[in-house]
Order: sequence, then C-alpha cells, then structure tokens
Amino acid sequence: MPPLEALIRAELRHQRPRLVIATVAAIGVTCGSALLLGLSGWFITASALAGLAGPAVAHAFNYMLPSAFIRLLAIVRTGSRYVERVAGHEAALQGLGRLRPRLYARLAEGGHATRALAVGEASSRLIEDVDAIQTRFIRVAAPWALGAGLAVSAGMAALAHWTSAVALLVGAGALVLGSRWIAERWVRPAAALRQEALGQLKARLTDLEAAVPEVRAWSLEGWATEEVARVADQADAAGRVLAERSGHLMSWAGAVTGLSLAAATGLPLWLAPATPPAPLIALAALATAAGMEAALGLVTALRDAGAARAAAARLEPLMGADPDRAVQRPEGDSLQFSPAGPTFVGGSRVRIAGPSGAGKTTLIEQMMGLRPVEPGQMSAGGLDPALPDVDVRRLFAYAAQDVSLLNGTVAQNLRLADPKAPEALLWEALEDAALAERIAGASKGLDTPIGPGGAFLSGGERRRLSLARAYLRGSPWLVLDEPTEGLDARTEQQVLHRLKARLDRTAQGLVMISHRPAGVALCEAVIEVDGVTEAGASALAVGEQGQPVGPQDAEVGH
Amino acid sequence: MTSSAPSPTHLRHWLRDTARPERRALGMAALMTTADVLPAVGFAAGLALTLTAWPDRTTSILMGIVIMLAALAVRGVLSQRALMTAAGAAARIKGAVRRGVVTDLFSGRRSSETGLIAAVEGVERLDGHYTRFEPARMAAVMGPIVVLAAIALASPVSALILTATLIPFAFGMWLAGTAAAAESRTQFAALERLSGLFLDCIRALPAVAAFEATGTVVGDVERASDGLAARTGKVLRIAFLSSGILEFFSALSVALVAVYCGFQLLGLMPVPIPEPLDLGRAVFALVLAPEVYAPLRRMAAAYHDRQAAEAVVPTLERTPVPPALPTPRLARSPALKFHKVSIAYDGAPPVISDFDLEVRPGQVIALTGASGTGKSSLLHLFLGLSPLTGGEVEVDGHRLSHTGDWCGQVGWMGQATVVVPGTLAENIALSQPEAPRELIAAMAEQAGLSLDLDRSIDGRGGGLSGGERRRLALARAMLKQAPLFLLDEPTAHLDAAAEEALIPALAAATRGRTCLIATHSRAVMALADRVVAL
Repeated sequence: MPPLEALIRAELRHQRPRLVIATVAAIGVTCGSALLLGLSGWFITASALAGLAGPAVAHAFNYMLPSAFIRLLAIVRTGSRYVERVAGHEAALQGLGRLRPRLYARLAEGGHATRALAVGEASSRLIEDVDAIQTRFIRVAAPWALGAGLAVSAGMAALAHWTSAVALLVGAGALVLGSRWIAERWVRPAAALRQEALGQLKARLTDLEAAVPEVRAWSLEGWATEEVARVADQADAAGRVLAERSGHLMSWAGAVTGLSLAAATGLPLWLAPATPPAPLIALAALATAAGMEAALGLVTALRDAGAARAAAARLEPLMGADPDRAVQRPEGDSLQFSPAGPTFVGGSRVRIAGPSGAGKTTLIEQMMGLRPVEPGQMSAGGLDPALPDVDVRRLFAYAAQDVSLLNGTVAQNLRLADPKAPEALLWEALEDAALAERIAGASKGLDTPIGPGGAFLSGGERRRLSLARAYLRGSPWLVLDEPTEGLDARTEQQVLHRLKARLDRTAQGLVMISHRPAGVALCEAVIEVDGVTEAGASALAVGEQGQPVGPQDAEVGH
Repeated sequence: MTSSAPSPTHLRHWLRDTARPERRALGMAALMTTADVLPAVGFAAGLALTLTAWPDRTTSILMGIVIMLAALAVRGVLSQRALMTAAGAAARIKGAVRRGVVTDLFSGRRSSETGLIAAVEGVERLDGHYTRFEPARMAAVMGPIVVLAAIALASPVSALILTATLIPFAFGMWLAGTAAAAESRTQFAALERLSGLFLDCIRALPAVAAFEATGTVVGDVERASDGLAARTGKVLRIAFLSSGILEFFSALSVALVAVYCGFQLLGLMPVPIPEPLDLGRAVFALVLAPEVYAPLRRMAAAYHDRQAAEAVVPTLERTPVPPALPTPRLARSPALKFHKVSIAYDGAPPVISDFDLEVRPGQVIALTGASGTGKSSLLHLFLGLSPLTGGEVEVDGHRLSHTGDWCGQVGWMGQATVVVPGTLAENIALSQPEAPRELIAAMAEQAGLSLDLDRSIDGRGGGLSGGERRRLALARAMLKQAPLFLLDEPTAHLDAAAEEALIPALAAATRGRTCLIATHSRAVMALADRVVAL
C-alpha cells in the first residue's frame, strides 16, 4: 500500500469508534427525513379520504400511531444530525491532528523532493492538499447514509407499486452517473484551465512586481496595472466558464428529479393491475423526492472523495522512506567527489571553485544526499550517498546559500542543530558568526522572533544565523555555500577569522564554496567544477590551492 | 496586517461597501435565488392536483404530473442563472479589489510579500462570499416570507403554525448565533494559525532535513494540533447547536403541519377550527413546509464562505493615497545632497540613518556595502518606494520631502527588467514611447545589443539571455536621456565573462550624467568617480 494511504487508513482505524457513531447517526438523518416526509404525506392523504368517508370511518381510523411516529421521526432526525456533526468533525480534527506530524516526518525523509516543496506555490498547494484529505474523515458517513436513505425511499415507493421504486432507482442512477459524466467531461477541464489562468496571473504579477522600480522610473504604473488586469480578466473568464459548467450539474439534477417523480407517480397509473390508493401514491411521490435529494448528496460526496483522492495522489510521490526503516550510517569521515578524484580525510579544508552556473552547489548537495545523483559517483565516509538506504547526513553541518529558517525565535532556529544545547553554546556560535552583538542588542535576546522566513532579519543577518546554526552541529564536516556573500569587508574578515579559529579548535573539516579572495586563503585544496549533472560531475579538476596555507599559519583577510 | 484584530462590523462594512457598484447584479442574483421557491410552490401544487384527482382518475392527474416535472426543471435552470449572475458580479468585484491592491503594489505603498498573495489568493477568497453567501443571505429573508404567503393561500392555519415555529427558531438562532459566531470565529482563526504553522515548517524543510531535526519539529506540530483538537471539541458542540436548532424546527414544522392537517381532515380537532381544508390544500401545505427553512439552511451552509472572506479583508484594504506633489522639471544633470537621511520601513529599525553625501552634477557615485545596509533603499527614495523618515535629499536644491518622488525623470537599471510581449524595439521604447526608430537603434548599439530590432519577444522574455536583458534595460535607460541615472546592482547574477562584457556599455551610459550605482562588483566600482561605503 502506498505510504500516505497507509497513514490515512491507520488514522481512520484509530478514529473508528467516532466514525461508526457518525455513520449510524447520519443514517438516522437520511432515513428519518425520507420516512418523515413520506409518512406525513400518507397520513394526510389517508386522513382526508377517511374524513370524506364520514365520521364513522374517521373515528375508526388509527391516527394515534402515525401521528406519534411523525413526531418521533422529527426528534430522531434532529438528534441524529447533531450527533453526526459533532462525531464526524471530532474524528476529522483528531485524525488530521495526528496525521499532520506523521505526514511531516515522512515528507522530511523525502530528500530530493523537499527542496522543491519549500518554495511559495508548492508549499501552499501542499497545505491545501493536506486539508483536502480532511474530507476522507468527514465524508466517511456520507455514502452509507445516502445509500440507506435511497434504499428506504425506494422501499416506501415500492409500497405503492414496484414501478415507482424502479423509477426512483433509475432516476438516482442517472443523476449520479450523469453528474459524474458532466463533472469529468465539463467541469474538470474548466477547473484545470482556471487553475492555469491563475498561475499565469501569478507569474505575470511576480515578474512585474520584481521590476517595480523600473515601472516607476518610466511612470508605467498605469500600464502595469492594466497588464495585470488583462491577465486577470482571462482568469475571471475561465472562472465564469467553470461556474456555468458547474451550474449544468444543477440543471441536470432538476431535470432528472422531475422525470423520475413523474415516472414514479405516472407509471403505476398505467402499469399496475389495480390503481394503488391515493395515500400510497402520496407516499411514493414524497419518498421519491427525498430519495432523489439523497442521490444529489451522493454526487457531492463522490466529488469530494474524488478531490481527496486527487490530493492524496499528488502527495503520495512526496512521501519519503519510512523514518523508522533500517539505514546504513557512515562510520568513517572521508569524502570523495568523483570516482577518480582524491579522497579528503577528516579535517581537510576544501574549496569548490568554478564559474557561476557550473554546479558547485549541486555537487555538495549531491554529496550530502540532498540531490539526486547516479550511484557510484561519490563516497562519503565509505558509503555511496546515492543509495536509498544510506543516510550520510550526520557527517555534515550545512549552511546553504538559500537560507532556510523556521518561523520561530533565534534560539529555536539554532537548536534545530542541537536540541539540547545550553545558552552559553548558542552565544558562542553566534559570536563566531559575528552575530552575537546584534542578538544581544535585541530586547528579547535569544528569544527574539525572526518572522516567517527570517523576515525580521536582514539578508546578511539571516546568512550569519544559518552559519551559527551549522557551527552548533558537531559534525565532521562543515559545509558552507558562499558564507560571506553580501557581507561588508569588515564583517567578512571577522567571520572568516573566527571560522579559522573555530576550525583550528575543533579540527572539523571544511567544504566551502567561495569566490571571494578572503575565503580562498582559508582552504588548502581546491576542486574546479565545470558542469554537474545527475550523472555526476563532468569535468572535475582537483588541484592544490594557489597559495597553499597550512591549517596552523593561515592569515585571513588582508 | 495590523496586530490588533479589526472588529467584525468593520470587516462586514468593508465587504458591503466593496460590493456597492455591483449591488444591482447581486440583488438580481438574490432575487433569482429567492425566486427558487416559486418552482417549489409549483411542485407542491402539481402534487396536490395529482393526488386530488387520483381517486377519480381524471386527466388532471396528467396535468399535475406535467406541472411537477416542469417546476423541477425550471428550478434547476433558475439556480444556474442565479449562480452565473452572482459569479459575474463577484468577478467584477474581485477585479476592482485586485486593481486596488496592484495599484498599491506598483506605487510602493504595499510590500511585495503580502501584495502578491493578496492580489491572487486573497482576492480569490472573496469569491464564495459574493457568489454563495450574499445571495443566500438575502434569499434567507425573502424566501420564507414568500413560501409562507403561498401556504397561507391554501391553509392559513398551517402558515400560522409555521410562523409560530419560526419565532422561537429565530430567537434560538440569535442566542446560539451570537455565542457560536464568536466561537466559530476563534475556531477559524485557530485553524488558520495551525495551517500557517504547518506551512512554516514545510518551508523550513531543507534545514530540518539537513540537520536531522525532524523529531523536534514534529513535536511542535503535534502539540499545536493536539491543542487545537482539544479546544475545538467544546467549540464544535456549541457551533453545531445553531444548526441543530435549525434542524429541529425544520423537522418540527413538518410534523406539526402533518398532524394538524391530518386531524383537521379527519374532523377530530379538539377545538373546531373554521378552515375549509381539503386533501389538495393539505398536501400543498405539507410539501411546502420544509421549504420555509430551506433558504435558511442554504445560508448556514455558506457561512464559512463569509468567514473566509472576513479573514482576508485586512490584507486587501487599501492604504490611503497621499496627494500628488508637484515635481519641477530637471533641465540638466542635477547636483544631489543627502543630509542626515534616515529610512525606516513600518516601525522597523531604520535600515540607514544619518547618511550624508554630496554629489556634483555629472558625478558617478558607487554605493557599496553589505546587503541590508540601505543601498537600494537610498536609490528607491527617488522613486517614492522607500520612506524618507528623517533628514532631507536635495536635487538641484529641490527638497524631496516637497516633491515626493522623481518618477518619470530618472533613468533606472536594476536586476529585474520589465519585458512586454512585442518587438525588441518596442521593448526598448518602453521608457520613451515616442522615440524615433534611429534613436532606438543607436541606443541599442551603444548598449551592445546586437540583436534584430524587429525580433519578437514574449512576455516572459523568451530567447533573451541574462546579459541581453541587462543590455535591453541599459538601452532603455539611455533612450530616456534622463538627467539622473540610478543603477541597482547592474551586474548581479551575471558570470564574470558577461559582467566584463557589459562594463564598456555601462561606462558609456554613465558618462556625463549624475549617477548613483549600488554595487558589490569591483569592476563596476572602477567606473565611479567616487566609491562610498555604507
């Protein structure tokens, strides 16, 4: 079974008691509705006929039982609806509450897919999909309840004549199948077009927004606004098409309900050997109306189920391996970036060089198992990071170029690297990243919130926080991608100086991407990269650093 | 978004005022939604006719069946028309709101992060409010009255009974509604927060995965989810109470009408009621009884659409537009004087403070320093995109605090270049639409853009390399022949070769103009008369 489906089913099993209560209550609602309406129709019609037949017949008519039953049904229906709502939503809330963390744990194991998830559109989409799965819980009861309602209605219609029941069932079938056909053929393509149009709107808006200064400089604000409005109009037009096609579902439901009611009332008139009595026809007609309403509900339930399935299908490929599976973790700490390349032992300081776009970041992320690469290209601690059951992450403390931060406090972000680190250690790491002064100056210190994506910090501060976080993780290799990009010369010098002191102290190895002269001086070996694909690095020249600097006597900066 | 929660009344007023131009269309949609009860009346009449005629097997049976069929078909078509009308109105409302957001975005009155989301997703969340909730809300008032009137024609007593159930219903709804509305608003907000937390955790996935910190974060998500589930259990019970009340009275009304009609028809009412009731009238009243509550139930079902819309209102509200200030014309390259300039965005600590600089006419200044030290913010001052919170900037003696901005009189080149679908020439002429063709060609040449001027370019800048885009921006800026030229990281994200190739064109473009260049590049700094470190 696919992993997500297994997770969902486990939660559904866990919520079973609540779901059973919700289902039973929902059956009470639909059957109660059908019975209430049908019985009332029968009762009135029978009463009228008895009343017409004279006082003697009227007094002989047993009115107590049906009228008591009608009142009972009204209460049953109300109570059931309340119980259904509460039990169903509690199951959904708790089920999803337990599902979310488990889902997250699996996503975190997804490795290569996680990077794509972290950016705007993809992550919003993911949240919507997870919410869509909620309907799997809320809607468990719906098919059962609506099916039962339909069955009870058909049973009541059959009391008049079997053709009435057939008319109802055929009508319900036509309603469900026809609606699905309309949804598949008409509504779905329109919804896809609309989604696409909205995507285009977002893309155009993002493009223009990125160039706001230019738009202002040429006084093109009006033009840009019109341009966005033009693309938005297309999205709105697509939205209207979608609304119109969704509306066809209602027209279809109206037409089919009308036809099946006409048939349920009319057919017994011609086909029954003896015309059924009027009270039973009233029963059949009202039961058919109730039954068709249930069928209409079934259409919605099936559509929601379809949406939940589609959401699950989108999530399924993102699921990583089972976090509790057995994995091989490296014992050693040597690194080899290409089959023929040299092996760097722990404590080495390696610089990755090459023109922009050559794939320097790709290369180091392949080494850490964060990006796909063909097996047999690299080795980390004696293991091939490309293999699925190998986890080499413990070897590396990574400060990426695209800084990824948690929307929490400074301390929370730092403790991602070491959950139990005491405050003194956090301050030490901040000091080495030349950020301690800034954080100490904030009124809440380590508990200063940094905002979504670290929005309350400047670009350089985010980079240094990410650096401090990497420092806290006592891994054999520190992997830094352009750690001083965007820092002013003085701060850069400070950061590199303390980095060197730190490396001397901890004897950690360093893999660094940097084209800045001050960074170059820190490393003793260099790997020249010129094109990296999933098949590995195509041209990897490995050489000694231009000005070899031993770990003991390096002079950082100028 | 502001930190203090805006009052629900304020949110509702905003939603109402925004819809004002579309009041007629929305009213029409509501009218059609209300008219939805007429086919229901027709259906009830058809069934009543059929049943009355049934014992005698007259042709009225057929007539009754045809009426039922027609009524239901009309009902379907009517709902579709109502939906379409409302969707049209909603699209126009959304368009107007989006236009406001986008205008603010392009005039720097709104930050890009919130603006982009507000303009697309935020605006879309208004949809359900206008297509579903608004028509349903208006129909919820008129619908029951129309149905009650129809029932009263057949059986005034039944109508009276139904009206009697409506009164305690309305009272109960008001009681539960005020409690439930507050609770459900809290609940909605809590759900949003949880979604937000999950989203934040997803966005941090690369770091979480790299640091093997899944356990820590999963713990956070778990606690938040559990907390919400525990709190919500109680909230739900109250929230569903209002729908329970609705359900109870809706069921009760059917039962009461059925029992009353039955007893009256049997002639067994304990108190004689002077109402001439026959089978047809009784069936008519019974079938219509649930329809009294149907519009209310529809409104209740659309309630979350309103909540979604209310939640998004604070992100869509427009910031007040400052009055336009008169900007004098610059005849020549101006002298610039920055005196104790401070820039702070929305209460955040200033990105730059007490900045002093004097620039002579025609002087080229390179501004350098780490990102976040305010280089771009200084350039943005001239475009009105950053707030001058302290000090003064003088352009040839004209004070920026008096002129507001210098839009239309500065040349700009940044990292992102606007590209419009059209030819290359049209793209260059964006800064100066009436420029003659020869001048465009000359500027393209000076910028080193050796492409065919009639080459067509799509809106995504297809076919242009990063370097070519910069040259396009440069040609455009030179065509403008503006006396003041601002360049924001003109060579960022270019590789060394592309940067080197661009330098001569930059040198040509900057010569003789007052220029401010924000840059990290040493090659670009070499073009400047003076390098200023921030």
